[in-house]
Amino acid sequence: MAGGGSLGGGGKTKRGKSSNRKTKKRVGFFIDMTPLVDITFLLLTFFMFTTTMATPQIMKMAVPPERDVEVQVQESKLFTILVDEFERVFWYPRNDELVEIEVNEIKKLAEEQNLRPEVKNELITSLKVSPDASYGLIVRILDELSIAEGNITKELIKDGLVRERKFSLTKLSELDIQKLAEEAPAMDKNEEEVEKEN
Amino acid sequence: MAKVKKNRVGFVIDMTPLVDITFLLLTFFMFTAKFKSDAENEQKFIIERPKVTADTSKLPEIDIATIKIAFTDSTRVDTSYYFSMSNQESFASLKNTTDGLTKEQKESALIQSDLLTLEKIVREVYRIDFATGALDTKFAIDADKDLPFDWVNNAMEVLRKNNYTTFNYVTDKKQ
Repeated sequence: MAGGGSLGGGGKTKRGKSSNRKTKKRVGFFIDMTPLVDITFLLLTFFMFTTTMATPQIMKMAVPPERDVEVQVQESKLFTILVDEFERVFWYPRNDELVEIEVNEIKKLAEEQNLRPEVKNELITSLKVSPDASYGLIVRILDELSIAEGNITKELIKDGLVRERKFSLTKLSELDIQKLAEEAPAMDKNEEEVEKEN
Repeated sequence: MAKVKKNRVGFVIDMTPLVDITFLLLTFFMFTAKFKSDAENEQKFIIERPKVTADTSKLPEIDIATIKIAFTDSTRVDTSYYFSMSNQESFASLKNTTDGLTKEQKESALIQSDLLTLEKIVREVYRIDFATGALDTKFAIDADKDLPFDWVNNAMEVLRKNNYTTFNYVTDKKQ
């Protein structure tokens, strides 16, 4: 534009002794665009720095309304996952022993348990957590369970059933804490290191 | 004095396309820019959200009340609850009618509070919501991933007691 301005928009130019040259009478509108472009770049950089692109993602949660009545649950239809304060995850089939698992195994486990022929759509998943377990871990477990739901719903549709998810998230009860203490005692840090060395 | 003849080599660069593209970019950014709300401006802490596999649900932008639970500074030791609402009118009336708010809390867009005050606030939100008839305020809990679950559980209990049984956790996408 700067080049164009000085070349194109000039006033009458008459070079040298050129009487035979046709003198074109050009009326020039000379607009210097430099400040316009300066301001434009300024505005552009301003908006580039102040724009926020994506809104945060959410995970929908639903909790049951307050009830005073305790619901009785059939043990055979219960699938319990425990999380203790050392961030270990356990589950126990019915009332058997605790089995420790990794977080990434939860999806497969949930699918297996929910699709057992004797429970099908009636399994109640109960997630019991220690108040000192980190929130991030709990969300990861919830995430794994939600992914499992997708597959479970698909399988149940094949049998003509509409998925009714029964789930609860509560704090560890006294019995649970006892069970954890008995069956999966937390190792002392020194003991753990000695074991690792062995 | 001999006239020095300047040999000017001319570089002609036509800047038209450059300016065209610049204007295009500018209009794009002008339309997509969102400005920080007052509450976001007052937020001095950072929340590391838990990472979750991608879901298409987005945080609602209107009629939303956010409970943030975060470490108050970078030492990541002290924790506090923070509350803010997107609807400024309701928020202003809430700040007036809730008892127990300090002057500092009343003037801020992001109220830092303890659990008891949070309870009172959420109760007020429900009351205002009920009075206007729409009951459309949605709650979101935005908490740091390293927090003990107890904090989040208490916030969830507060929401449950006040009839907000569906709410959202604000998360990050797992890459």
